[in-house]
Amino acid sequence: VANGRRNGPGARRLTIVVVLVASMMLTLAGRLYYVQLLDPNKPVQTAGRLHDGTIVVPAPRGQIVDARGRVLVANTSMQVLTVNRETLQALPDQGTAVIGRLATLLRTTPALLAKEITPCSPRVPAPCWTGQPYQPVPVATNTSTAVALAVSEHREHFPGVALQTVTQPSYPNGTLAAHLLGYTGEVTAADKKATPVLTDADTIGRSGLQAQYDTVLRGTDGKQVVQLTPQGTVAADTAGGNVPAVQGDTLVTSIDADVQKLAEMSLARQIADSRAKGKLATSGAVVVMDPNTGRVIASASYPTYNPQEFIGGISKADYGALTAPGAGDPLLSRAIAGQYAPGSTFKLITASSLVAHNEISLGSSYACPGSLAIDGRVKTNYDSESFGRPLSLQDALGYSCDTFFYAPTAAEYYADQARIAAGQKPTEYLQKTAASFGVGRAPNIDLPADEQAAGSYADRETRRARWLANKAQYCAAAKRGFPDEPNPAQRAYRTALAAENCTDGWRYRAGDNADMAIGQGETTMSPLQLALAYSAMLNGGRIFAPTLGWAVVDGAGKVVRTIKPTVRNTVPVQRSVLNYIADSLQFSRGWAVSGAFAYIGSPVQSLIGGKTGTAEVFGRQDTSWLASWGPLSRDAKGDPHAKFVVVGMVEQAGTGATAAGPMLKRIYDGLLGVGGPAVIPGSRPETSLPKIAPQVRVMSRPAAPRPAARGDAPHPDAMPTRAVRAGASR
Amino acid sequence: MTLLARDPRAPFALTSPVMPLERRARGYDWLLIGTALVLSLIGAVLVWAATRDLLRAQGGNPEGFLYRHLFNLAIAAVLMVVVSRFDARLLRLFGPIVYIVSLLGLVAVSVVGSTVNGAHAWIRLGGGFQLQPSEFMKLGLIVGMAVLFAQRSAGRDDDEPPSTLDVLMAMALIAVPLALIMLQPDLGSAMVLAAAAFGVLIAAGVRARWTIGLLILTVVVAVLAVKGGLLADYQLERFSSFTHPGQDTQGAAYNVTQAHIAIANGGLFGTGLFDGPQTNGGFVPEQRTDFVFSVAGEEFGLVGGAVLIGLYAVLCWRSLRIAADADRAGRLVAVGIVCWIAFQAFQNIGMNLGLTPITGLPLPFVSYGGSSMFAQGLAIGLLQAVRRRASR
Repeated sequence: VANGRRNGPGARRLTIVVVLVASMMLTLAGRLYYVQLLDPNKPVQTAGRLHDGTIVVPAPRGQIVDARGRVLVANTSMQVLTVNRETLQALPDQGTAVIGRLATLLRTTPALLAKEITPCSPRVPAPCWTGQPYQPVPVATNTSTAVALAVSEHREHFPGVALQTVTQPSYPNGTLAAHLLGYTGEVTAADKKATPVLTDADTIGRSGLQAQYDTVLRGTDGKQVVQLTPQGTVAADTAGGNVPAVQGDTLVTSIDADVQKLAEMSLARQIADSRAKGKLATSGAVVVMDPNTGRVIASASYPTYNPQEFIGGISKADYGALTAPGAGDPLLSRAIAGQYAPGSTFKLITASSLVAHNEISLGSSYACPGSLAIDGRVKTNYDSESFGRPLSLQDALGYSCDTFFYAPTAAEYYADQARIAAGQKPTEYLQKTAASFGVGRAPNIDLPADEQAAGSYADRETRRARWLANKAQYCAAAKRGFPDEPNPAQRAYRTALAAENCTDGWRYRAGDNADMAIGQGETTMSPLQLALAYSAMLNGGRIFAPTLGWAVVDGAGKVVRTIKPTVRNTVPVQRSVLNYIADSLQFSRGWAVSGAFAYIGSPVQSLIGGKTGTAEVFGRQDTSWLASWGPLSRDAKGDPHAKFVVVGMVEQAGTGATAAGPMLKRIYDGLLGVGGPAVIPGSRPETSLPKIAPQVRVMSRPAAPRPAARGDAPHPDAMPTRAVRAGASR
Repeated sequence: MTLLARDPRAPFALTSPVMPLERRARGYDWLLIGTALVLSLIGAVLVWAATRDLLRAQGGNPEGFLYRHLFNLAIAAVLMVVVSRFDARLLRLFGPIVYIVSLLGLVAVSVVGSTVNGAHAWIRLGGGFQLQPSEFMKLGLIVGMAVLFAQRSAGRDDDEPPSTLDVLMAMALIAVPLALIMLQPDLGSAMVLAAAAFGVLIAAGVRARWTIGLLILTVVVAVLAVKGGLLADYQLERFSSFTHPGQDTQGAAYNVTQAHIAIANGGLFGTGLFDGPQTNGGFVPEQRTDFVFSVAGEEFGLVGGAVLIGLYAVLCWRSLRIAADADRAGRLVAVGIVCWIAFQAFQNIGMNLGLTPITGLPLPFVSYGGSSMFAQGLAIGLLQAVRRRASR
């Protein structure tokens, strides 16, 4: 049987298989022979060869100091606890006991800690160590003294665990000037692409001055070269290629830490007071600037945050808390990046425009009725207050009469409509004046472009362009209604609004012009922009590109660069008109000026002037404004001058006189020394640069300052990344 | 004496334990068993050489992987002995079960499996043990196809090729596990599965138009897979690093480059056991599994590599002898196993030598890995069972 099978047709088919198998085996043998004996280009043996690995020594960032040389952002030495895996692995229990003890000390679990120190690989998911296997892994930054002591006193319990000192930016004043200074983050791949000198070990400014002056503050990284064995362990520290790190330059700012403190305190207190009176008072801002130089002295925003939280990587929980819907957006710098309806504070611009274009005259008086119908819509004064007699511009500004300004701006509108009907271009004086005061254009302060609001106003062209872009959306919304809106009044309002926008959204109406006259409608400005406009009123019409930075001082204490605000333009309004407006709003006029209410009886009442604003926002409580200046002085020509312009704003806090007024009074008391010494010497902005002592050379420190990647790190900016890059081959 | 011993045709017929040794040993191909054993023991030494320095550096037991490899070998030997005692005629009964159980394993992997090196191919058993069902599927498919063709051609002339329906049924048997493995995605196992199935088809005597047609289909599907993005990125990377090895010396081509350095510097006699610098330095990734041949190449040189290839040749020769003597089902099983082992060895050694693209495949009997070792033990056992049946 066996023989029969062996010669059968089935067996013959096996021949194919035999040939296939034999050819495979012969191919392999041939290839092996070639690779091992014949190949003329044999690859070179690499094993056993040492190669260089470079450890980047990150440069300490430069300091940021205030106008009197006081430190706002410093560098601190931080104790970082590191674990050497190689040492642990060599222990009989592979470090289990050490990890257990360390976990107890750091209040974490041994399992998590063990994961954090395991180098990442395709088989090891996060949390894991993103650095080189030969580096000690940082497991805790900013180690508390208790932990540091426990580790150093009982070295025998913690083999392979070490404390290293690293420098990190620090904010010694906590939240002070947080929005101006900004926070830092870890370098991302995108950063490295944009700026090739950056390495993973560096810290990069992410917002505020930290971002704007990053190249100045960054310094120059040093490096330490080590020899690595093929397995990646350090064979020797080679001093040959070592380059020490150079700390970044110091940035001197025009911020005055005391004024900043005062502004923030006063803002926080006003919010508390307004809340005690039953207002929502969700947020607010204060800007203090020098109207004569364009330098910003203080800028406060509420709510705020602590930039220290971002040092060494912000945790997901902390970042989540900062960005939660109920947190009130503490990262937003409302003073500079927020834009709000300015309300009656805008009347500076309206009055300037009307007088400059001869639409009203300074010698005449005009009616201030309780209400006025424009285009069939009744517009009222605040609380429908009416004056039986005609008012001069001076009184209209002082009492803040709205109807006074409606009539001439509506008239300007109709005149423009007549021009359009006649085939001419509209003049749009009000809009042009607003633009010259800087509305609708970023103030160009020395902060990142996305941290400064441009403000806005409506005109015919933008109205039409927007309508064309959004028409379909408006009409769809009007058709659909707002079924998701729970409040029936809101639902009806929004539906009606959408319907109107759908058909007539392109139309710019007389009422729009009147709204703009009193800083309502689509008119918005940031507190900083308002401060710039009022500065122009007091400095002869110059609109500054304001600055926070004042000078850059290098490590030797030498000023390498002075930063000066530039004049962007001069408003086309005569000095006499600006003077008239400023004089109209002097608090010495007492009850005739609404902004003066909080200051009646103050010893410095006559030194201050200001315009209140009470901006109505649909569905919210009023925004309270005060744009003010002081202390007043007059030059030989009789032109009024002020050392400071102070703008305050509290959202949802009521009228300007009741919230922003008392808030700024506390700031003036501090600036002018009422009830105590002035917080700023001479009650005037600092005029000379502070002396900056030469830097003490920080010794280069060859270690990784980053904590191991935690699974919960949220923000790419905040993601701790590897600190070291190996040199040549693997 | 038990009843079981008296009737060798009864299901689960085990030979009496008191049967003289000479009779119990009858029918075994001792040369085949010896070859497989020698390969496995060489494997143990190579795995040991590949891992001892690394384990020592990590503070572990340098012989850890050696012991585990030997432990796997012992289990595989037991499996071989047990399977070799089966009556090969019972394949008809067990074939479908083996096939279905293997298939269920593959399905289980897609549900509860874990991912290693990019392929979702493993089932964690706890205690650090993992099972890779695709290894057992190779055997399951061979047995399943063999039984199918044997059953369908029962009573037909041996010369007559299988009918179109037979071939289509066989294709269905192939397609299901092949698709599941491609989904993992484990290209290497899929290729081996296809090679084994192809061997069975040839041995079953299907018409040339089928075999040629299938080859063309395979080429077309492969082209479409590469062009159409059916392959995972890492697989494409491996292929492109194979065609352009200089392009990326740190990524996918790193393995090939390092293995090439190790083997090329082995020369005629090698550096000697435990003296390979490339191996001791831990330069070749996955050296105890997919790149175990590079240890042989470096430390035993051309002689060592040739001995390994020679041993595979002997293994295939003995298995084909068994195939030639076997009945229809047994022959198909034997040819399938030969094609599996031969192709896998070719593919693995080929990628070590830069001849074939990288696919994650162990070198049969030699590489460290429980699942593959067990499956190969079962295969050798099955070959013995076929031989014992034929020589009775």
